[in-house]
Amino acid sequence: MSLRDALTGRHQVKGPAPDRLFAISTAYITLSSEHQIEPAGTAAIVFQALATSEFETTLREMEELVRATGAESGTSVTTEDDSFGYRWMILRNPEGAPSVEDLAVGINAVSSSIETAGHGERLLCAVFAFIDASKRKVYFIYNYKRGFWYPFVPDPSGPQQRLTERELQIKAQMASEIPIEPEIERWFPLWGIPI
Amino acid sequence: MASKRSSFGKDTGLQARMVFTMFMLGLVYVAFIGVLFALGAQAGVIVVVAVVLLVAQLFGSDKMALAALKVKEVSPAEEPELHGIIDRLCVQADLAKPRVCVMESPMPNAFAMGRSRKSTTVCATRGILELLSPAELEGVMGHELTHVINRDVMVMTLASFFATLAALIMQFAFFFGGGYGNREEEEDIMIVVLVSAIVYALSFLLLRALSRYREYAADRGSAVLTGRPSALASALLKISGTMQRVPKEDLRVAEGMSAFFIIPARAKDSLMNIFADHPPLEKRLAALERLESQLQSAA
Repeated sequence: MSLRDALTGRHQVKGPAPDRLFAISTAYITLSSEHQIEPAGTAAIVFQALATSEFETTLREMEELVRATGAESGTSVTTEDDSFGYRWMILRNPEGAPSVEDLAVGINAVSSSIETAGHGERLLCAVFAFIDASKRKVYFIYNYKRGFWYPFVPDPSGPQQRLTERELQIKAQMASEIPIEPEIERWFPLWGIPI
Repeated sequence: MASKRSSFGKDTGLQARMVFTMFMLGLVYVAFIGVLFALGAQAGVIVVVAVVLLVAQLFGSDKMALAALKVKEVSPAEEPELHGIIDRLCVQADLAKPRVCVMESPMPNAFAMGRSRKSTTVCATRGILELLSPAELEGVMGHELTHVINRDVMVMTLASFFATLAALIMQFAFFFGGGYGNREEEEDIMIVVLVSAIVYALSFLLLRALSRYREYAADRGSAVLTGRPSALASALLKISGTMQRVPKEDLRVAEGMSAFFIIPARAKDSLMNIFADHPPLEKRLAALERLESQLQSAA
């Protein structure tokens, strides 16, 4: 942000950073083979759904596209709005055949059609769900503005609690495999992830 | 500016008015310094005092204000909805998360404080949390976070530096002025006081104008950030609707803080818009409506 922008109070919402989404489609191999963190077969992309007819049309077309491309791999698509008014587009692998590659391809199809329609700045993040050896959910969250990943492990024992120690372990284990957000204060939680 | 296409047009008029106001402020200040130096009055001492005040204001005012307003920092477990909204907006705005506080007051309002993006506090009152829907609250928080992004506290503090200086000189002159020195020296002091008074009056009006433009910019920033201009408009309507019905005590306590609030804490409209630090509600709503129609016709 330049001095001029500060003085004139002009501020644009940042568009997506250079894409590092596909880092997950190689990193998951290490996660699974060395750290017993297995893919749960679900992923989601979170964005602000603009209440305009043009944006709704884009979304409908995109959903059809993802359905069509997902048909051969058996990936299903559902959408839901959370209580904050953000839209979640959820991709699910067929039962018993989790494929992080398929999910990443699907998520990328969604994000690139939103960008092509000129709404790249509405993209918030993508979430990939994993399950660790002690049956806890481990999420990898990709921040579109920053182009970085970070782990998010909610504590199942209480609301709005996260297992920071576990997240830091995962960071230490995975830092060489996937671009991890260096500023820990930007590891924003997402409570009540529907996947 | 970087984005190839935006849902919202540019508001060149607003930026032009803001730059013009700042230019006029600068002009008044330059003239002021000129007169001070020309007269060579004991200006040096006053300038030093003013600089100390400025630094104290930049580094201490937020803490003092927060202490005076009895706000309490809240954890995500205590206020999951507020934290959730701010988390998402921070991702969207590419901003580090500020401290999140709640003020136990029935008056619906919100404000942001702190001189830089690194040391910021956003605060919502209990009243606003109960009054607004999540989308409306998001609009209000987007407005406050835009103040943070635009560094409004810093800009306004720096812009008001010379107004503070002028006010100081007037006070000095009233307390210590007259009764000593020769006739020529007294005349000099009178001129300095007179010039200070003029500088103070002019910069007061210009600062108020600047403050109003920053409010428009924050409304606009919120709309761009959330993509929902009408949610903020609805929040402003709801807040102003209840503003008139809250107990007077709260208003008086909060009066001094009004520049930081999303809607100033006054029971009635100000006498004249020129003295107001917030633009009138109708104009803010009209600006948001323009943004909404820009958004709808962006295709």
